Order: sequence, then C-alpha cells, then structure tokens
Amino acid sequence: LLNPSLSSLPSSSPSITNIQTISLSIHTQNTNQNKTMKFQIEDITVYFPYDHIYPEQYSYMLDLKRSLDAKGHSLLEMPTGTGKTIALLSLITSYSLSKPSNPIKLIYCTRTVHEMEKTLAELKLLYKYQLDNIGPSARMLALGLSSRKNLCVNPDVVSAENRDSVDAGCRKLTASWVRALAAENNGIPTCDWFERYERAGSDAVLPPGVYTLQDLRVFGKEKGWCPYFLARHMVQFANVVVYSYQYLLDPKVAGIISKEMQRESVVVFDEAHNIDNVCIEALSVSVRKQTIEGATRNINKMAQEINRFKATDAGRLRAEYNRLVDGLAQRGDLPLGDTWLANPALPDDILKEAVPGNIRRAEHFLSVLRRLVQYLKGRLETDNVEKEGPLTFVNAVNSHVGIDQKMLKFCYDRLHSLMLTLEITDTDEFLHIQTICDFATLVGTYTRGFSIIIEPYDERMPHIPDPVLQLTCHDASLAIKPVFDRFQSVVITSGTLSPIDLYPRLLNFNPVVSRSFTMSLTRDCICPMVLSRGSDQLPVSTKFDLRSDPGVERNYGRLLLEMVSVVPDGIVCFFVSYSYMDAIVNSWNETGILKDIMQRKLVFIETQDVVETTLALDNYRKACDCGRGAVFFSVARGKVAEGIDFDRHYGRLVIMFGVPFQYTLSKILLARLEYLRETFQIKEGDFLTFDALRQAAQCVGRVIRSKADYGMMIFADKRYTRHDKRSKLPGWILSHLRDAHLNLSTDMAVHIAREFLRKMAQPYDKTGGGKKTLLSQEDLEEMNGNEGMMF
Amino acid sequence: MRDVQVVVKRVKYKSSAKDGGGVHGILKLTRERFAFKPNDPSLSSSKALNLEFRLIKGHKSSKDLVPPLLHLTHHQGNYFFEFKNIEDRNLCRDFVAKAIPKSGGPTSEKVAPPNDEQLSSAEMMRRMKLLQEDSVLQKFHKQFVSGDVLSETEFWATRKKLLDANASIKSKQMVGLKGEMIYNVKPSSDGQSNRVTFNLTPEMIYQIFAEKPAVRQAYLDSVPNKMTEKEFWTKYWRAQYLHSTKNIVAAAAEAAEDEELAVFLKQDDILASETRHKIRKVDPTLDMEADEGDDYTHIPGHGLANENSKDELEAQYEPLKRSFLQDVNRHAAVVLEGRTIDVEAGDTRSVAEALARSKLKLAKEASDGNAHPEWLERITRMAEIEDLQAPRDPPVAPLCIKDPRDYFDSQQVNALNQLSGTRHMKSRLSTSEAYGSIRNYISESRTMGLSPELAFEVFNSLTQNISISKYQLGKNPNESVLDTLPSVAKEELWLVRDALSKIYPKLQALDAAFAHYELDHGRDQQRAAKD
Repeated sequence: LLNPSLSSLPSSSPSITNIQTISLSIHTQNTNQNKTMKFQIEDITVYFPYDHIYPEQYSYMLDLKRSLDAKGHSLLEMPTGTGKTIALLSLITSYSLSKPSNPIKLIYCTRTVHEMEKTLAELKLLYKYQLDNIGPSARMLALGLSSRKNLCVNPDVVSAENRDSVDAGCRKLTASWVRALAAENNGIPTCDWFERYERAGSDAVLPPGVYTLQDLRVFGKEKGWCPYFLARHMVQFANVVVYSYQYLLDPKVAGIISKEMQRESVVVFDEAHNIDNVCIEALSVSVRKQTIEGATRNINKMAQEINRFKATDAGRLRAEYNRLVDGLAQRGDLPLGDTWLANPALPDDILKEAVPGNIRRAEHFLSVLRRLVQYLKGRLETDNVEKEGPLTFVNAVNSHVGIDQKMLKFCYDRLHSLMLTLEITDTDEFLHIQTICDFATLVGTYTRGFSIIIEPYDERMPHIPDPVLQLTCHDASLAIKPVFDRFQSVVITSGTLSPIDLYPRLLNFNPVVSRSFTMSLTRDCICPMVLSRGSDQLPVSTKFDLRSDPGVERNYGRLLLEMVSVVPDGIVCFFVSYSYMDAIVNSWNETGILKDIMQRKLVFIETQDVVETTLALDNYRKACDCGRGAVFFSVARGKVAEGIDFDRHYGRLVIMFGVPFQYTLSKILLARLEYLRETFQIKEGDFLTFDALRQAAQCVGRVIRSKADYGMMIFADKRYTRHDKRSKLPGWILSHLRDAHLNLSTDMAVHIAREFLRKMAQPYDKTGGGKKTLLSQEDLEEMNGNEGMMF
Repeated sequence: MRDVQVVVKRVKYKSSAKDGGGVHGILKLTRERFAFKPNDPSLSSSKALNLEFRLIKGHKSSKDLVPPLLHLTHHQGNYFFEFKNIEDRNLCRDFVAKAIPKSGGPTSEKVAPPNDEQLSSAEMMRRMKLLQEDSVLQKFHKQFVSGDVLSETEFWATRKKLLDANASIKSKQMVGLKGEMIYNVKPSSDGQSNRVTFNLTPEMIYQIFAEKPAVRQAYLDSVPNKMTEKEFWTKYWRAQYLHSTKNIVAAAAEAAEDEELAVFLKQDDILASETRHKIRKVDPTLDMEADEGDDYTHIPGHGLANENSKDELEAQYEPLKRSFLQDVNRHAAVVLEGRTIDVEAGDTRSVAEALARSKLKLAKEASDGNAHPEWLERITRMAEIEDLQAPRDPPVAPLCIKDPRDYFDSQQVNALNQLSGTRHMKSRLSTSEAYGSIRNYISESRTMGLSPELAFEVFNSLTQNISISKYQLGKNPNESVLDTLPSVAKEELWLVRDALSKIYPKLQALDAAFAHYELDHGRDQQRAAKD
C-alpha cells in the first residue's frame, strides 16, 4: 500500500515513519479500473461495463433477451435510478455481437436531444469497454441524429434563429436547381461542406465509433463534409441509431428519415410513459387566424410564381402536369438536398394512385387551396364551440366549396410537387400553407379516431377572441401501428408505466413480455411522503376551490421555507401549471416568503423561454456543485419535467405541489376521454388520475440515479392521501411509502426530513450485506450454476 | 518595550497642523520631558523645545494617516510634530500617552480611547474581528492591554503576521453578493399624500447594475450629461412602479412618450446577447434549446394547442413583457457569479464602469474556445453509475489513529531510542530531511500531476490529525507536531501551503489548522518574550 514515490525516502529516519504512516492514506493505485463484467444470459455473452450489477438489471436483461428471442414486443417498467439505459444498451449490443451472422440494429428513441446525448455518453462507456475486451470485432457505428439546426456546421446557415430558417437556409444552398445554376454561374453561393460531401461520394463514411451530435460536427469540420447529410446517409449502416421519437412516429419525418430501416431492428422507446401523447401530437394540426392569413399570402406568392413561369418557362409547368398524369410519385428519388417533410399521413394509408385530374394543373390546384382557405376562414368566424367528426367535415367542405375527399387527401403531395416545380427554397416562408395542406390530407385520409373542434376563444380567457380550428387525433395506436408492424421487436420502457396493463390497450399491441420490476435497495434511500396539511394544520391542495386560497399558498411557502433550511444542496419544486407557478411565486414575493427562501438558497425558475430555462438549469447545477445550494421551480408536464435529471446533489428533495391533472375543461381532452370510453371502455376518471399520477411520479422519480444516491419526495396535496389516487403511483415508490408518512403536516415532514438526511449521511455497506443488492461476476456465475442444477 | 526610557525620532516641528513647512529636527522623549532640537543650529534658539510632560494637557494624533502628526496641547500653545512614518508616530504617541498620566496626573484622559481613534477604521475592524473570532486572543488582549502591561500597538506588533495574513486573504477573496433581491423593494408611502418613496443604497445600485446591464449602460450614457443622478433614479423607479402595476398598456404608452424611460421597461438587449453567448457553452445534456431545433411537432399549427400559444395576440407589447420570474433567474445567476469587481460601493459611476469592463472581459473569454473538455468529462462522469464500480475519486484509505497521543509518543520514543547520544541534533536533522522529502514529493507530484483532490484529502486528514492530537496531548497543550519541525521547515510549509492553495481553492480546513498553529506560535513567542 505504500506510495511508490514515498518509498524513496530514507527509511532510517524516525520522523519519516511518521509521515509515511500518515501518507499511507494515499495509495494512488489505479490498478485495473476496467475490471468489468462478462457473463452469460442463456446463450448470450453479455459485456457489462461495471464491476457489479444490480439484480434488477440482470432480470431486466433476461426479460429483454427473451423478448428479442421471441421477436416480439415488450413493455418493461423499471424504477429510475437502476441503470435501465446501460442494461438495455449492454444487452442489445451483446446480443448483436453473439450473433454476428445476423446482427440486429438498435434504433433507440429518446424524447429529447439532451437525453440523446446522455444515452450516447453511456454507450461510449460501453463501447470502450467492449473494444478493450473483445478487440476489433466489437467495432460498431453508433450515432445520434438530429435536425440541420443541431448538426449544421456552415456558419452562415446555422446562425439562423430557428429550425425552419436553418432548413430553408440549407435548401437555398443545396437544392438541386440551385446547384445546377451554380455550376453555370459562379456568382451563386453553395454550401462548401455539402459540395465536398457530394464530391467525396461513396468515400464519405464515418469510421466505427460512437458519435454524439458534437462529435459529428467535429468530424464534419475536420473532413469538410456536411455532418447532417453524412449522418443521414450513415443511419442505414449504423448499428445503433439514437434519435427522437418523432423520427419514427411522426409520418412527416419518418417518411424521409426512417424509411430505409430494416425489419431486423430493435426499436426502443425510452422514457415512454408519455408515448401516447407523442403519437397523438404527431397526427394533430391546428389552424388559427394567423395560419389563414399566412396561407393566403403564400397562395398569392405562388400564383405570381406560376405566372412568371408561364411567361418564361412554360415547359416546366407542362412537364409537371405530364408527370402527375403518369402518376409518378413526387417523392421518388429526389436529390438529397430537395427532400423536406413528407406526407403527414401514415405510409400505409396513402393510396398508390395518381393525383386526381382536377388538381393536376397548378392554377387549378391553387384555386382549390384558395377555396379551402376561404372555407376554413368562414368556419373560424363562429361564436360557439363546434365539434364534428372528419366525415361530416369532409362532406361539408364538399357541399360548400366543392372539394371532395380525394382532392383533400392529395393536397400535401400536390403542394410538395408544386413547390419543387416552382423551385421554392425559402420553405420557412411557406409553413402556413403547408399546415393547411397537412390538415387537408389528414382530414381526407382518416375517418375515425379524429375530431375537429372549433373554439372561438380560450375557455380560460373568454374576453380575448382567439379562434382555433383543431384536428385532433384521439387514438395513439394509429401513429405507432406502422412501427409495431414494421419492426420485429419494439421495446417500450420507462420508470413509470403503471398501470402496466393500460399501455397495450392505449397503443393496441400485444407484448410478449410485460413486466414491472421492483427496486432492491441496500438502504431506504428514497423517502416518499404525503403532506396533506400545512403548518397551521389546514389542508393543502391545488384543487380548484382551494387553489387561490392565500392560506394554501402560504402553507406551501412555509413548507418550502422549512425545507430549504433543512435540506442541503438542490431542491426541486414542481407546480401543476405555468400559470399556477407564476401566481404562487408572485404571491410569495408579496408576502416576503420568497425573500426568506432566497436567504437560504438561490432560486431558479423554469420559464416558457427554453433558452432562459436552459441557462437557469445550468446555473442551478453550478450552484449545487459549488455548495451554494439552490431551488429549482418547475412545471409538471413542462420541458424540464420531461427529461432533466435531478440526481445526486442536484436534487435531494422534490416537492410536488398539487396533483398535476390536465385542464379538464379542455375540449380536446373531453373529446379524447369520450373516444377512450367508447373505444377502449376506459373510464374518464381513471384515465385522468392515471395521467396525473404518471406525471407526478415522473417528476419525483428524477431524483435517484443509483442506489448510492438518495432523495426525498413530498407529494403536497391532501388528495394523495386517497387510496384511489395514490395507488396509481408506480410500485417502487409505493413500496417505500410508509403508512406513517401518508398524512403529514409541515412540522412532521420537516422532522422526518431531518432524520432521513442524518441517516443517509452515514457511511454504509454498498454491497448490502446479506441482501445481495449488488451482484458481482462470481455471484452471477453461482446463480447460473444453481439454476442449471435446478433444471 | 515598557522598559524603554528614551525615544528619539526624526520629526518636523510645526506650529499648526496646516503649516506646510516646519522645522526638521530630532524629538527626544524621556519619562518626564520631551525635547526638540532643530537640525539647523541657527534655529535652535527660536525653535528648540524642552518641556515637561506634566505641563502637557493632552495629546492627539491625526486620524488620516498622511502626514502622521502628533499634537501635544500645552497650556501656552500647541506643538505639532510630523513624523516620517506611522510606526514612529505611534511609538511616540504611546510613549507620550504613558508619560502624561505619570506626570500630568488627573488632567489626562485614559489611554485607550484616543488610541483607538487614531487607527484607520479598517484596521480597527480587522483587529476587532480577530478578537471576536479568537477567544484566547481576546483573553490575552484583556489581560495585557486592559491591564496596562502592553500598549495596543505593542500587543499587535507581535501579531503582525496575523493581521497581514488576514489582510492578504481579504484581498484575494471578495465578499459575495446577498442572496435576496434587495432592489426588489416595495415603495413606502406616507399614506397621506399621493407619493411614494423608494430608498436606494449603494448595495442596491450595485445589484441593479450587475443584473440589468441596460440600466447600467443607460446610466453611463446619460449621467451626468443628460440628467442628474437623481433624475435618473427617479425615472428608473417610475419604470419599476409602472412595471409592478402590471398594466402593460399604460407602460407601453409611457414608454412611447419617454425614450429614456422605455429603456427600463424594454427587454434588456445586452442581456440577450450575453445569453446567446452563454447558450453555446451550455452542457449538451441540459440543452433544451437543441430540442426545440429537433422537435418537428413545434412547427406552428402542429401538435395539440397548449398554454403558451395564446400570447401571440399581444405581439405589439412583446418587447415590454418582462416577467418577475426572469428577474429571479437573472438575480440568482448574478449572485452565483459573485462579485466580479473590486470597487468600493459608493461611487455609482465607477461601479458602473467597472462592471461594464468586467462584462466585456467575460464576453471575450466566452467567445473564444469552442471545445469544452470540462463538460465533456463531466458528461462521462455523470453517465456512470457510481456504486456499480470502484469510486472514481482518488482511492484513499482512511487515516485511523485511535489515540494520537499514543501514536506520537511511541514515535518519539522510537526516535529517542534509535538516536541516543546526539539525539537532539540528529532528530532535528532528520525532521528537516523528512520535511525535505515530503516537500520534494509534493513538488514532484505537482509537476507530475497529483490530483488536487487527493492532495487536499491527504492534507486535510493530516492537519485534522495534527489539530486533534494537539488538543489531546493534554499534558503539554502547546506542543504541536509542527513545533518539532525546524523554523526553516515551517516557512517552507507555508510556501507549500500557498502552492497548494493555488492547486486547490478549498483549503479552509488547512488554513484553519495553520492559523491555529500560527496563533500558538505567537503565544509561545510572547511567553518567551515575557520569560
């Protein structure tokens, strides 16, 4: 144990013995940091990049492996903080390595870009370990894929402020006609990165490795190739692709990005507790006054363009007409730079037939669009809330402005073709007309699972006229169906999938494995509590009648104030909505509670501006890192709740103020509830509670990262004391919710928090003694041996 | 020093405090008398003095330290002596202070109060703070100074290092900002007239300038050329008041009329550009802006309508929208950043200028350098699951000495046994050797790259043990392990500490240990002096 550099000291000196003995406390050995695991799960050799494994990770892998074997879908709920992602990545890559003849591809879907980065960071760890242990045969290509906005390296393009302008900026430089023009005329700018990438042709490949978005940009800069197009190209050869849900679920995006993925892929939806909402969003469109105005402008612009072409290049329009007569799909083999969002309807629902005759001519199509926009404008001018099904709506369109269902259905493709013909590159200017055509195509394609809702104003602010026409999808299974059909294994996994039997019904599929794992804990490192009363013993709740009660606001404030003085490092608070958070923060400011809180910890708040929120989060982490301590105010269902972890010292306590129910008077929600009741026999109340509690569980679940971590969760609302609400929480939280913690007041909660924190600060035996909460390689081998004997 | 009978100093003798010239000469103080002899013998008749102290009614010395003056009041007139430096002056002052009561009897006041007056307030505060922090020192102070054994100056003269050390720490570390938003005050109203009053302190001005660069810029631009400071702040509070009424239409109307007022109401452009710089440096695992760029449901009109879309209506008021939540975030960010400038609060303009400069510097730093290895490494660390593998922190076995007295005693016995005979010499030598080795080791590992955490860990446990052992050694409470080191070694150890403090900023624990040691050492010296 002696430090090597100290052993050179003269050993005869007595005082040196002193110092040496003190210095014994250092032993800078770095021996074999990579002592990691390799074990068998049935016929698969699994490489796992840590020294130990949690038992639940092992059983998670086992179930996952069986569902891969069965080539079926699976639904796995595993508590947060048990290393779900690494277990999954480790098993699937090992599975692939074990069957080199038929390697499976992993398509890993995350909800957000930052989760993508986290996943790729874990994959990097794993890949490094596999390379070290297996050698070159473990080489693989893994990459994250995002939009041009996140991948572009051309400084002129990427500086644009939003995604659409970056897309358009790119198209202005890379569209086939622009490049053709540039070839003749030197003055036309093109994108150097794209040109070099095109010139490199088939040589432009990514060497094996794991690439985050940043790595892709760095690589692109180094080689001078466009990282976006390179990544899009490499996706078909990659072993692991990490991208966001929309790339598979949204037909507009999936149509271009994901169409070449082979059937032998495993699709993973991580953090999938909200997957039904993502599916529904992908197929929903809303039209507002601004959309109508913008679309009218777009139509006028296109009309001008058509006239210009008629005068200068009439052949072009005729060629388009002939192509449409021949029924050539516009989305054939377009040059790389020309593609944009594909048809909003799902591929299986698009009829393979030619564009109807009456919209083949450009000017005819424009007049159809004009009539449609006019009709929608008329519909928006209503004083009452209207709700109808797609069929009724299509009939009404037909009888009023003479546009039939088939014409509606082809609107999007026809628009796409026209825009290509007119060589429109500033696509960001044409978003409004695209929205109208999306709407038309969807409403013309689907007859069930949708409804059209027209609201003259927002229910909550009836004095402000804000008419909106919404086509909302109610059936989550529609968008995800092609994914289930196309890929042999789809894994849906999250920390919160309770009740687990609801998801197969909502998404309409049959999982071969459907399991909820519990958490084996070395010590009680999570401490959920239900706080029903404030410091004055009056009930607290965000229920409608109590919501703006100053007493409740004060009690919530007192709770936080007590907690900031007890809990070290980071505290996260979740509120039920932005408006509620805004109101309560202002009220705390008025009453001076906020000032008192600020004396203890810095306060950071999620706002609706993502840039500001990102910086606030960054500062929050810094404040926790430097020991200053901070509180983060956030919103359930908000962006932060969706994907930011508050593990370790970034979150020692989460307070969920209230039950995050959806706004139950929303017409869209009511229509969806009605659909769920009629189609799946799911009761409204059950669905609302399920939805609220999964959000709450998701918010509080973000505090735990591993079993060495610890954190408290306070559900501050008296409604959590009711069994029907509480029981919808995931099992791993419920199992730690002691009866004594079910009905607390502020002072009791503070006492419990003190006790808990003191207990957690003690050193403990990581291996869990007799409980076996950490398994080493030997343990696993022994287990396998025993199993072998048993069978 | 109390035995000193005669003090002789070079001084300038003046007839009044404002006298520019004065006569160079030598001041000689004895127990009973003081005498001044000019250097120029021709003046000796007119300017030479030789007076008894008992004729002196009192003495004063200049508070502002330049020039160091001593003023003696005689019933016939006043004598002013200008000294070369403060030390000389203080010495004489103390001497005089002691001499007067002896000879002057009841006329002279108690020594302490005039003494305190003459120190600069900062110096005073520092001493007071030291006394407050250290009860032992306070006890000594009471015993010696109040007991008239030592004068104030003498008492502190032996503890110069303490004062200096404190001063050097003070200069390095700036006081942080307050956690609360102190400028977020409600106006006070007298309840009768229709006017409200805002109170503004330098601290508030600092906060406002730090958090609202647009206000700072407006101040630099318009004060004092366009308006007075008072007008400026009146305008500012007017804007705040408008903002607090949440009447966005009224605010817009006022802003349209008054261009300067509009600055306070509008979104902060400087802040916005700072934000753009910062967002590029943000950790990608937090970057929600990247999400916005990826998420195809955020095309206008797609997805389900959500809460925030309704704001589009009020686009014309958009520049005036500034939520309280934003202010809170901004405030916390500034507090976290800490005080970036070292300017005495008070002079508003210099504060504003210094802040503007420091921001410029920060922006420059932010703009260069694209790769951010520190967060790359952090992401990797964050990705790991900590308890599934050996800890990543430097592997450190806990130092476990159950009874430090036993431990050190046994070590000493060992030493004595092995080196009987020339043991004293030898032992000294070997400690220095040992010390040399450890120093080499530290400097070596500094160049080779010993991780600062590790260094901190080791030194922490080392000093902790030393301090524990010191208190538990019982029979000889002032014997510290550090005492066994030669004085050269001790100085070297200070150097090492300085070097380490460069490596690792969190050396408070070590500092505390050394401070203790230093104090002890001081006491020992004192004892030695007394003996």
